Amino acid sequence: MKGALAVCWRDVLKFARQPIVMVSTIVGPFLTLILLGSAFGGAITLAPIAVVRESYGPYSSSFVEALRNEQSCQLGGINCQNSFRLIDVPELDVAQQMLHAGLVRAVVHIPLRFDESIAANAKVVVTVTLDNTDPLSTAAIGPEIVQASQGVSPQIQTLGTNSSNTIIDLEFAYRNVLYIEFMAPGTFVQSIMFVSIIAGGVQLVIDKERGIIEGYLVTPLKKHEIVIGVLLSGVIKSLFSAVAMFILAVALTGIRPLSLFPTPNLAGLLLTMITLFLTALGLIGMMTAYAVRSTSADLYRVTCFPINLTLYYTSGAIYPLDGMPPWMKEISMINPETYAVHALRLLMYKGVGFQAIAGDFVFLSVFTALMITLAIAAFRRGL
Amino acid sequence: MNHLDLEIKHEVFGLLGPNGAGKTTLQRMLVTVLSPTEGTATVAGADIVRESDKVRERIGVVTQASTLDIELSAIENMNLYGMYYGMSRQQRQERIPELLKVVGLADRAKIPVAGYSGGMKRRLEIVRALIHEPQVLFLDEPTTGLDPQARAAVLDYVKRIHEDHGITLVITTHYLDEAENLCDTLAIVDYGKIVALGTPTELKRKVSGGDIVEADFIDLPYIAFKVLETADFVLEVKRRSGGLTILVKNGAEAVPKIVGLVDANGGKLRTITLRELTLDDVFLNVTGRSLRE
Repeated sequence: MKGALAVCWRDVLKFARQPIVMVSTIVGPFLTLILLGSAFGGAITLAPIAVVRESYGPYSSSFVEALRNEQSCQLGGINCQNSFRLIDVPELDVAQQMLHAGLVRAVVHIPLRFDESIAANAKVVVTVTLDNTDPLSTAAIGPEIVQASQGVSPQIQTLGTNSSNTIIDLEFAYRNVLYIEFMAPGTFVQSIMFVSIIAGGVQLVIDKERGIIEGYLVTPLKKHEIVIGVLLSGVIKSLFSAVAMFILAVALTGIRPLSLFPTPNLAGLLLTMITLFLTALGLIGMMTAYAVRSTSADLYRVTCFPINLTLYYTSGAIYPLDGMPPWMKEISMINPETYAVHALRLLMYKGVGFQAIAGDFVFLSVFTALMITLAIAAFRRGL
Repeated sequence: MNHLDLEIKHEVFGLLGPNGAGKTTLQRMLVTVLSPTEGTATVAGADIVRESDKVRERIGVVTQASTLDIELSAIENMNLYGMYYGMSRQQRQERIPELLKVVGLADRAKIPVAGYSGGMKRRLEIVRALIHEPQVLFLDEPTTGLDPQARAAVLDYVKRIHEDHGITLVITTHYLDEAENLCDTLAIVDYGKIVALGTPTELKRKVSGGDIVEADFIDLPYIAFKVLETADFVLEVKRRSGGLTILVKNGAEAVPKIVGLVDANGGKLRTITLRELTLDDVFLNVTGRSLRE
């Protein structure tokens, strides 16, 4: 076991002396988080909206004012800007044409009897026509308009032009989770995967090419000690990167996991760490097994690229599993990253206990055990 | 590797042969990385097949390609090896500075190895292999890729390590001078076989017991060549570009005779030199090829 610690110590020492490798395992996932997270799930700002106003009482005025003042904020409540740029259009027909011409993203029609109805405590329907050729903006604009209307009067019902007249009252079980928060767990897992590929796998293939592994074999080190050393150093290195990602995400992007906010929750943090640990062990085991059987570092790097992409995109890290076609769901079911992302997301935003993620733990544990066995077998045969 | 049988005593033992002759393969078997398909060997009193663990504890190995971690310092590189051999921190702290001093690296011990010259790296690798006080040190082409000065320094240290620490050295090389100056016993390896075995002097004596005369000609009529070839003091004549390599019984006596014979038969000499047999001549003799080719 002393030998394994020595092998592990070498890897960790080398990792610490190669700041570029260390940083690259963090920079990649962090860029994904900040660029994709901000652009994709970022709030709509200054979207042009046509307002056709046929009623001019105090309620309609406050509704328009609410629309005008609706704010969209960037990460963590910074850089707040108006969501909409309102354009007053006298005629509904003209407004519709503007929508077709792409000049506005939505048309809000405030009907003639708006103020009267609200004053009489009767229901009133505001029709919002959305340009749904851009699904992402549509999805963001609709709810923002609804939100603006809520402050004016509960009697307002906003209907999309194509929706039925059934009114559904939505209630939210949790606070609003920003998209960047939604995708954050996936980037933590990705930093682990990056370490598995770069600092774990590539290093191993290079060591093999340079004869360092053969150098191990002429010392009293046992093969299993070498594998354990390599796995152990991989876990230490990837936990370092994942934890650094977690801290950076919280500090710089304003992500607010329940395990830290409003008050730090030790059990939640511990479960988060255990999830990261299991994920690290499994992914390192997988990439080690692959690296040991790999004959060239170039080939290894080239093949790792599609492996990483497939695992990341099918894990539900950036898009919910529900939206995937069946064949993709099947891949995601055997993808360890799926379970890691799921467990982390639950821990971070729902504040669940162990029971809720026990299934994820079972899958990750089985996967990890399998991969370590595979890595040891590969070491036995491959060297 | 073809069947071979040899015994290495407490000495500097050289495996000489061209690239691809099987020297490294033989060495990899002896250091327990490769298992022989049949047969076995005993290294430092332990069997390489049945007691490979014991062998590994008793040997040090310097491989042909560098296996240093260049991001780490000399001390860190050695420390790791000490840990692989299960040495305690105290043992390592005592031994490392001592060894670094042996190869003149004490004042650079703390800088990353990336800043070392090729010769310094080699020297470090050699003492790294000595950290656990092995009984046998294997060196695979220890001076390949080094400039002449660095080579000389490395060989000097290797010699001193053998003399001061009494370690058996097994060196593979394709450098003749290295084999000649460093090794007590030499095995000439070709196509996985040992084709000759003995001290450098013995090997050379085995070839002939004579001397070599190199003669270059301005003009050499066929008749003069024939007369030379059949002269009684000549053992063998080999043609090479520009002249002849003549193996003779006694060089000092042969040179004036050759000059006289060539002159008498209408030939004209450009240069004539007398030299001693080299290991290359031995190699040429036993394999039919030159090592220098």
